Amino acid sequence: MAFIQYAFHMNLLIRPFSRYHILLFTVLVSSSSITQASGVTTGVDKQAKLPYWQYENGAISIRFIQRLPDQTRGYFMARGFSADRSELIAGSCVFQTVFRNISKTTTPVTIDYDMRNWQTIQNGHTGQPVIREEWASKWNKLNITVPAKLAFNWSLLPTTQHYQSGDYNWGMATFNLTPGSRFDLKLSWKQSDEQHHIVLPNMQCAEDLQIDPQG
Amino acid sequence: MSKQIFNVCLYLLLVFQSSFALAGNTAFSPLKETFPAANFSLNDINGKTHRLSDYRGKVVVLNFWATWCPPCREEMPSMERARKKLINDDVVILAVNVGEDEDTVFNFTGDYPVEFPLLMDIKGKVIRSYPVKALPTTYIISTDGLVTHRTLGGREWDNDKLLDELRRMQHKPERKQ
Repeated sequence: MAFIQYAFHMNLLIRPFSRYHILLFTVLVSSSSITQASGVTTGVDKQAKLPYWQYENGAISIRFIQRLPDQTRGYFMARGFSADRSELIAGSCVFQTVFRNISKTTTPVTIDYDMRNWQTIQNGHTGQPVIREEWASKWNKLNITVPAKLAFNWSLLPTTQHYQSGDYNWGMATFNLTPGSRFDLKLSWKQSDEQHHIVLPNMQCAEDLQIDPQG
Repeated sequence: MSKQIFNVCLYLLLVFQSSFALAGNTAFSPLKETFPAANFSLNDINGKTHRLSDYRGKVVVLNFWATWCPPCREEMPSMERARKKLINDDVVILAVNVGEDEDTVFNFTGDYPVEFPLLMDIKGKVIRSYPVKALPTTYIISTDGLVTHRTLGGREWDNDKLLDELRRMQHKPERKQ
């Protein structure tokens, strides 16, 4: 009897909620993200429809979204790079990066980073991102045109940056890794006066997918 | 009753999330150290020459941008709305396009019509005279030609708080006799 009363009571409580629970569940899951320990999430970026890796801690938010090699080829060829020069960029590992200082103006913090302190870790080997200055020296040797160099320079995430509350940047981050390869990315930055580190585990460079027109 | 409470909670959750997404995009940061704005002379897309020094005595919102930069595109309409709201104020908006040609910028204005000057820094000389590291970057230049504030990334430029701040800056501090 007690069980029947309990079931009846629960039914009254649950029934009106069920579709709202489903709605709430949908809202919360719609970002398709998997929260891991310590603020790291992965999922599929809604706009790019490609995988992303993100870290967020209430002051900083940084998201790395895969860029397909074909996207990169097309992007730079449209900005004055020849096919073989754009291949140099597309053949490395490129991510679209969105870096934000999300601290509130009521409790602001400053964020400073230097990409030269970031590290890739792959099969026990460490590497570093390929920064603007390295590319610039390469483009100078290859006599790339000024408009193409400008477009490239401003498309990349700056090597260093200082963000105040509300500031953000988009920019490409490039790594000397082959398409499709997996690696861990160790990030470091200064949050006001405090040094921070985080590892984004098991990131993956986008595969260089070639669609066969013959099917 | 419980369902109504749940509805209210869900509504508050969604409102909180959307307001949080906009938070921080309605302010610009004062620089630790102000510096004199580097003068320049650039043509707009109609071929008219603009010198920064022509605007001395006004607050200048100096925006560096490119058509391929998503946050740059995103903030353009709000800059145009801000221009309209500031039409009776001594505040001007100058948007310096970096590294593109007139045709590209002209085509862009088909989708993003604006009436403030779009200046052509085709060879990137002007942007190099400012400490810009990424696009968009916007500087606020005081009436006496000092760069006093900076924003990185887009802003909602027609936000009342931001407009009030710009209006406040157009009034020079009173000097003691």
